[in-house]
Order: sequence, then structure tokens, then C-alpha cells
Amino acid sequence: MKIVVLVKQIPDPEARVAVGADGGPAALQVEDRWCTSFFDEVALEAALGLRQRHGGEVVAVTAGGGKAVDALRRALAFGADRVAQLDDPALAGADGLGVAAALAAFVRREPPDLVLAGRQALDDEAGVVGPAVAERLDWPHAADAVALEADPAARRIRVERTVDGGREVLELPLPALITAQKGLATPRVPQVTGVMKAMRAKIDRLDLAALGLSPADVAPRTAVLGYRPPPSRKPVRMIEADFPENVRTLAALLCDEAKVLG
Amino acid sequence: MDFRFSEEQEFFRNQVRDAVDRLVRPRIAEIDRRAEFPRDLWDEFAKLGYFGLRHPAAHGGLDADTVTSMIFFEELARGSCGFFMAVTAQMLMGTYFVGRFGSPAIRQRVLEPAIRGEKIGAICFTESQSGSDLAGVRTTATRDGDGWVLHGTKEWITNGPICDFATVLATTDPRAGLKGLSFFLVERDTPGFSRGQKIEKLGARGSVTGEVVLDHVRVPAENLLGEPGQGARYLTDILNQVRVMTGLAACSIADEALRDAREYAKRREAFGKPISEYQLIREKFGRCWARREAARTLLYRVAWMIDAGLECQREAMAAKWVATEMCLEAVDEATRIYAGNGFTPEYPAERFFRDARFLLSGGGTHEVLLDYLGRTYLRQ
Repeated sequence: MKIVVLVKQIPDPEARVAVGADGGPAALQVEDRWCTSFFDEVALEAALGLRQRHGGEVVAVTAGGGKAVDALRRALAFGADRVAQLDDPALAGADGLGVAAALAAFVRREPPDLVLAGRQALDDEAGVVGPAVAERLDWPHAADAVALEADPAARRIRVERTVDGGREVLELPLPALITAQKGLATPRVPQVTGVMKAMRAKIDRLDLAALGLSPADVAPRTAVLGYRPPPSRKPVRMIEADFPENVRTLAALLCDEAKVLG
Repeated sequence: MDFRFSEEQEFFRNQVRDAVDRLVRPRIAEIDRRAEFPRDLWDEFAKLGYFGLRHPAAHGGLDADTVTSMIFFEELARGSCGFFMAVTAQMLMGTYFVGRFGSPAIRQRVLEPAIRGEKIGAICFTESQSGSDLAGVRTTATRDGDGWVLHGTKEWITNGPICDFATVLATTDPRAGLKGLSFFLVERDTPGFSRGQKIEKLGARGSVTGEVVLDHVRVPAENLLGEPGQGARYLTDILNQVRVMTGLAACSIADEALRDAREYAKRREAFGKPISEYQLIREKFGRCWARREAARTLLYRVAWMIDAGLECQREAMAAKWVATEMCLEAVDEATRIYAGNGFTPEYPAERFFRDARFLLSGGGTHEVLLDYLGRTYLRQ
């Protein structure tokens, strides 16, 4: 079973984020700390589980330059067989649909039995790329999988998703694209042998021409106009009084000021 | 000249940080409170394979260079200081001489399980009358037929109370001072070998430290590691690494203490504004950050010198001293920023303060290091 996993390097969720004063499209200031998006790691771990059961190959791919390569090294450290970096100046300004166009072109070149992706990247949380790749390929797609059971011989895969009150069980023909929800698999802490192999690996880079695309194919159709910081929180008020006066004061504040108690 | 880490080294650092964040950091406070060796964490961490980082591939290791290893040590020290001490005692000193001089049979019996974390190692230099002054070692190793008999008591041994094997420094020629010192491997089940109780410590409480007693312990000839009388010389081959490793632990503890204090200073208000807005508080962060940057740059330069095969004994001593003194200052300032809250285990500042003290004596006391640096400088 050949599986392509879509991965993305994102700012570490603990990185400090601030919005510059002008609030323009370049106003987002993010600390230089990076990691692979959590749901992509879940997808990768699930792919490695499927490879263990059914044999085959796991190929990780990312779209982007610079630090994006670390998501691929991380995938190699996990145990991916091959990786590819789609790196082109035109991709730097691409939106979700543009990135999906490039990834879909890569998938067509391979082509795998299954594509796995995270349900959303933890930075922009758009959740666009996975379904858009499926749409570009005209493949069936299931989102937010929490369990997978593949039958490569019958060319089918069973998917479980969490829905209100229980689980929905779907069956899709292969090839298909499935996005991973938390619970599908637990990402491993990679062993140092894998880490060092990944450190030394030469990463294949493909530009748009190699994918048979032009910059127009990935041109953004959405424009970021600007960023606004979240509204500042009111300062913390400490209630200095002793019990039970402190409880009375708190209850009064919750009723009269915060209006969360009647 | 290029001071940047390579893309690959940055990647390696991030992977180690991820492992420490996920496995070690959630347990820092618990490990400190229990003051016991966290064997389950040790086993879990050992499975990742890092214990073989410094050993040659031919011995089952990963042949990592010094800079890469130091990146590992620096990141590991961001977790529990005690766990860091236990791991580094295994990875550097506890197994180094076994790997370098052990016979194939010894490597198979001792080193390979140690790299897998199944056996715990210790290095035994220190005695009641001998620490930085190695010439004061009184443990003796006497020839006995085709073997050696070791007799003496070692103190302040990291991993001592739990070790499965120990690399013991003993004198094979008491009249020769430093030139009479030799290393021996002693395994736990050897008659006469016993492990003492752990010592209650101020900091680094996730590592256990205690006595190792050698009561006329007979070991075969192959347990002599290297040539007799060469122990002190062999030691200098690894002490530079130990000093850089200790200095980087100091940088990590300082960094963690300062980051934590920074967030507290932004939250804590006095006289109507956060204390981070007062110049005297800002000066503390500015001074400590600058000294940390200076220390860290010097430490990695020494790591690079080790890899380049350059003589760097004095530089390693200087870097260890600069970094540890910087750390002591940073953790002190952190507790001052916390004021009363720096005096209670409710906040981590007091733990950083305690842990930092443990770095003072490892790799030589500062009095001994500075005396040597001054003496050699005056000789020039």
C-alpha cells in the first residue's frame, strides 16, 4: 500500500505571537520556533501503522521553502520511506487552494493508494488543503478520521469519524484522501537513530515546472488584508478579604459586574 | 567565521527538545519532590537511543561529534536537573573508559546493555579526602596473580546507589601520585563490592548519589582499563567535554529560570504597574541575558575546538567557570524577582536556585580551576 502524507511546518504553538502596530498584511510577528503541525503527525503515524499492517511505502510531502524542510526531516525520523519538498518562489504567496494545486500535482505523479493529511494546520486552522487536494484529484474524501481499516486487495478503506453521540462509519473506494483527527494515532517520540538519519538525508526539491504547473496555477485567490490582536483582557483583580467575606465579594462581582450569575 | 548552527543541528536540537518536552518536563516537579531515581523515565528515554550518542558506531553507538552531543546535553538540562545528572553520568564518564579500553567481551557484557539503558554505570573518583585533588586518591589496586585487588571507599558517586557497574579510579603506585592512577571496571556482583545509601541532596534530586565500597574486590586483568599509571592522562581526554557539558547545563538552568521570572515579572504588579516596567528589574534581565550569551558562545567554541582536535584545557575550565557563576547569579536574581514567592516550592524559582548549586563542583571546584588558570597565566 503506497501512502502519501501531507505535512506542514508551523510556528510552535508556544511561540510568542504579536500583531504589529499598523495591523497590515505583514503585521504578524511570530517567534522563530517551529514544529510539525500536530494533526499532520497523527496522519503520519497512522500511515506508518498502515504500512506495518499491509506493507508498502510512506511518502511525506510539504509545500514551502525554508523551515518547511524540517517537517520532512521529522517525517524521515518517524520512519517515512521518502520525502519531497515542493519549493518554488510562487508558492511563498500561495493560499490554501494554491498549495492544494501543487500538492495534487505531486500526488498525480506518484500516484498512491491513499493520501493522509491533518484535519487542519495548527497555525492558520483553515482546514482547506486536505479537502481541496481531494477535489483537485477528483478523489473521495473523508474528514476527521479517528479510526481506519484498509483492505488493499478489495481497494476499499473503512473510516470512523466522531459525530454527535457516537461514531459514523464510512467506506470509501481507494484511492482516497482522508484527514486525521486526534485519536487516530499517537505520534511517537522519534528514536535518535531516525533523527540522525534524517539530519543527514538529502531532501529532494521540486519546483512548479517539475510538477507541470505554472505560477498562475498556484496564484492566490484570497488576499490577507491585515491582522488584529485579540481584545486586551481586563486586569486581574485580587480579592484581599478573608473567608467568608471574599466569597461574598466574588459572588457579588459575578452577579453585578460580570453578569454570569443571576 | 560562522557562528550559526547548521540546519541539521537545529533540526537535531528541535527533536531533542521535543523528546524532553514530552517525556521529562511534565515530571520535573514530581521528580524533585520524590528525590528518587525515576527508573521508568530512564527506561522510556533509553529506548530513544541517545545513550549511545558519544560512542563509536563499531561499539553500538552513533559516533556523534562533540557539538551535536553538547546540543543534546543542553536540551536535556532544560528538563529535570537530577535526571540530566543521571543520564550524563551514564553517557559520558560512566561508560567512556569501558568503551575506549574494554575488551570485546566487556563491551558486549557491559557497554552494549548500558547504551540500551539496561545497566546503569557510575564513575568513581571522589573520596572523603580527594575530589578535585586526584593525587589524593587512596583507593588502592594491588596486583594479585593475574588480576588486581581493589580496596577503598568512593564518595559522592552519581548513580552509585543504583549502579550495575563502576569505573573506579585507584592508585596502582601510591608513591607516584598522579602518575600512579589507573582505571578499573568493577561489576556489581563482584564479591566485596557494595553500594551505599543515597545522600540527601539540596538539588539535582532526581539523581541518586552515594558511596561505593570496595572491600578487597578482586577483578581479572582485563578489567584494568588502559595502561596502569595513565588514569590521570586519560581523564584529561574527557574532562574538557565534562566541563563544557556542565557549563551548558548551567546555561539551560539560567535560561529556564530567567524565562520563568520574565513571565512572572510581566504579571506581578507593584505600585500600579507590572514589576517588569521598573528599571532595576529590567537591569537584572539585561545583565543575566548578556552573561548567558557570553558563556554559551564560549562553551560552543570550546566544543568546536574539541572536534577540531585543538588544545583547549584552559578554555574548557574558563567556560565552565564563567557559565556556572553566571547561572548562580541568574537563579539568585530570579528568586529576588519572585521575592517571597521565590522561597516556596509553589513556584519553580527555588528549584532552579537549588539545582544550580550542584554544578559548582562537577568538573573541578572553581577554586581549583581559577588557581590553575591564574598559575598558568603567570607562567607565560
